[in-house]
Amino acid sequence: MTNRIAELRKARKISQAELADGVDVTRQTIISLESGRYNASLLLAHKIAKYFGLTIEEVFLFEEEIP
Amino acid sequence: MKDCLKKAAPYVMFAAAWVLILATFLLGERIKEQLSLVLFTLGGVLLGFGAVGIALSRIRMSPEQQKEYERSEHDERNVAIREKAAMSSWYWTLYMLWAVFMVIQIFVGGLWGVAVSVVIVLHCTFYMINIHRWNKKM
Repeated sequence: MTNRIAELRKARKISQAELADGVDVTRQTIISLESGRYNASLLLAHKIAKYFGLTIEEVFLFEEEIP
Repeated sequence: MKDCLKKAAPYVMFAAAWVLILATFLLGERIKEQLSLVLFTLGGVLLGFGAVGIALSRIRMSPEQQKEYERSEHDERNVAIREKAAMSSWYWTLYMLWAVFMVIQIFVGGLWGVAVSVVIVLHCTFYMINIHRWNKKM
């Protein structure tokens, strides 16, 4: 799963700390999400999408594995 | 009420620890050696938890630091990391404790067997309490 958090954040000129404050997580979690080292829970994904005023699908990109 | 209990818990543990340790010394020869060991071990564990709890409650933090601390406590990634680390360490230490238990049962027995059994029970209790605590936080 990939996400557009870094892209959306930079487009809106929001710092990682501000986003972390807005969704009530630590900055380390935002860093891990942006680098793809951590996948957000459904609740956090919802909070982040709501923060940007978008849907979860617009922020988080679910890639189906090709068998 | 809940906050009050939370604040009082380390002091209660600290006091209970001293009661158990004193009881061990006062009862001395009148109780079995195994029971004395169990009382002393429990006292030691409670003393440790109580002292750490009291020390942590004395640390003063600014409102920002307090907010940051609470956030890091509830942060889902931190909770997941802590849970994974706890599961892993619990798993391996339990294996090691069982190995020690078996070796002692076969070659030594007696009081050491009882001591290791108490540690295994405390180890499992610690795990169950923490899993319950973390599940509530998530």
